[in-house]
Amino acid sequence: MKKSVSLLLVLALAMGLVFGQGTKEAAPAAQAGPVELTFWSLFTGGDGEFFDAMVDEFNKSQKEIVMKNDTVKFDNYYTKLTTALAAKKAPDVIVCHQANLLNYVPNGSLLPLDEYVSKTTLDDFQTAPLSACRFGGKLYSLPLDVHPIVMYYNKDILKQAGIDKIPASADEFVAACKTIKEKTGKWGLAIDNTTGTYKAYTLTRLFFSMMIQQGGSFLTADNKKANFNNAYGETALNWLKDMVNKYQVNPNELDYDAAMNMFKLGDAAFYFNGVWATGTLEKVDGLNFAASPLPAFYGTEGWAWCGSHTLAIPVQENQDPKKVAAAVKFIDWMTAHGEMWAKAGHIPTRKSVVEKDAFKALPYRADYAGAAKYAAAPPSMAAWDEIYGTSSDLLEAAVTKNQDAKTALANMEKVVNGIIAKY
Amino acid sequence: MIPGNKDTRDGILFSLPFLVIFALFMVYPLLFGLYISFFKWNILSTPQFCGMQNYIGLFHDQKFYTSLWHTVEFVLITTPVLLVMGFAMALAVTGKSPLRDLMETVFFLPYIFSMTVVATLWAWLMQKDFGIFNQVIVSLGGSRVSWLTNDKWAIWSVCIATFWWTAGFNMVLFTAGIKQIPKEVYESAQIDGANYWQCLNHITIPLVSHTTILCLILQVIASFNVFGQVYVMTGGGPAGSTRVLVQYIYENGFQYFKMGYSAAMSYILFIIVLLVSVLQYVLLGRKKEE
Repeated sequence: MKKSVSLLLVLALAMGLVFGQGTKEAAPAAQAGPVELTFWSLFTGGDGEFFDAMVDEFNKSQKEIVMKNDTVKFDNYYTKLTTALAAKKAPDVIVCHQANLLNYVPNGSLLPLDEYVSKTTLDDFQTAPLSACRFGGKLYSLPLDVHPIVMYYNKDILKQAGIDKIPASADEFVAACKTIKEKTGKWGLAIDNTTGTYKAYTLTRLFFSMMIQQGGSFLTADNKKANFNNAYGETALNWLKDMVNKYQVNPNELDYDAAMNMFKLGDAAFYFNGVWATGTLEKVDGLNFAASPLPAFYGTEGWAWCGSHTLAIPVQENQDPKKVAAAVKFIDWMTAHGEMWAKAGHIPTRKSVVEKDAFKALPYRADYAGAAKYAAAPPSMAAWDEIYGTSSDLLEAAVTKNQDAKTALANMEKVVNGIIAKY
Repeated sequence: MIPGNKDTRDGILFSLPFLVIFALFMVYPLLFGLYISFFKWNILSTPQFCGMQNYIGLFHDQKFYTSLWHTVEFVLITTPVLLVMGFAMALAVTGKSPLRDLMETVFFLPYIFSMTVVATLWAWLMQKDFGIFNQVIVSLGGSRVSWLTNDKWAIWSVCIATFWWTAGFNMVLFTAGIKQIPKEVYESAQIDGANYWQCLNHITIPLVSHTTILCLILQVIASFNVFGQVYVMTGGGPAGSTRVLVQYIYENGFQYFKMGYSAAMSYILFIIVLLVSVLQYVLLGRKKEE
């Protein structure tokens, strides 16, 4: 008897050691005083400091809510978020890319927000990014920003090469880049095309945009099949390939960081990247650059791939209505102060923010704010992340090794269809 | 157990804290992984039973084969080189050189750095446009080498970084092995007129063979599990040409959330490593007894 009692005691102790951590965290913080909210930030790409400054400002602006912000390395963010959501122990407010929402909506991990957000607030949002957060008629998050891919160009190089008109079509880009190479000896373009810290996502983003600009699309409208193995796809891929191989105005085997560096050092005239690069580029001394929406390489409308950070409220094991109300207030405040977030380069989503003088006074941002009109969101589907990564690998091989466009696209179509079939 | 003490209670009690944690965080996940490999599960959904479908799918997945091949390639390149390097380093630090203490420190130092530090460092050294290696090559009149961005060189570049990082560990094992050889054996050989190479060939190498087998098995297992260096240095690129199996498992499990598929792949890797280890042990062990 004595033996088994002590055995049980030891077991209990051991279990206590293992689970003690968990029970402590689960204790509800129902005391009076300010409501404490938690948040995990994925902003580590130069925009993190602007986000932290906003959270500080929010905490200073009122006394009822204290937001505690933790930064998680971007690569691990969704891993951590998914496991926390599975355990129903996610933070009170989360950030989620619009393209990833569909991983969490169908299994009821996110709280529908319709009853918490007033109509006046909703009306202040631009229609496209807001409706992208609706699934089956319910609103699951509010968009904090849209971040399309845009064009940056070095004004000094263009002047030196005697180019006073920004090229406005794929062919004009070829001509301009050749002139730049002849007259200045510098690179015309710096489109990253190999895997480094990141995959060659820029290739996929440009390819995706060019498909839409020509009147096509990356996937079919029902997201069931690839739709790029056709004349549109060949035109787009051949252009990306030729700039590297035929005209040699874009370096081969260029990774993301090197492309950014090349533009920073003034070694390349045109640079394509998401708007988040603005905050970094404007800090470079002596770099005389401008930003503009992605040009229409084909057709007349400069459709551009875009992402969108959205803020959502996870479903908790014990949902505290007080915390939900506070979380909604926080989301409202953050989106309503988009001019602060725009410092990181992102485009605000609320009409009232775009009207603010503080936003208009920011350099560069106003130049590409119009890009929101032709922002093309990636398809909402669970398979998208895998399609996106895999296409980047295949486009990288096609461009860096100068593969035949027809063969490369036929193979890519087969692979992408295979991925879709597996989900 | 203490001799004469027949009470197993103490033994169980003392090992319990370890056993509980071991069962909870090692045994349970292992078994759960096997169980979930027969399901389709994305962590948030209810697992759906799909029989052998994950395993069957694997054998039709080209990326699985290429990833497995990249891992095997890495094992084949790194294992022999790391063994020879470790042994050569051990010879140097057990020799008569006045610098041997310094060498021991220098050789072992890289091993204490974390993988991320080493891989980031080498990724910068080998960066094509701005890395110091290419800066030196260019200033000497050469042309830039695509260390990490050419599919022919990338795996070798990762291996070079791995050599620098982990050879020191094998050195420690070999040093211990060499120091265990009695001095008298060498002395009598020298009296008989054996030179350095004869001593090496007929005394040192045969007498450290236990250590060699240990190193070989440890090294093969470690190399099969390669992930960190590749992930940080090349991200599996260029165009997936260095993606190793563990990276593919990670991507499927934690980026695409195909838990069942990823678990099935882990079990295939487990079986491969198990087979290779048993094979090595049996083959090399039997040779020993003869």
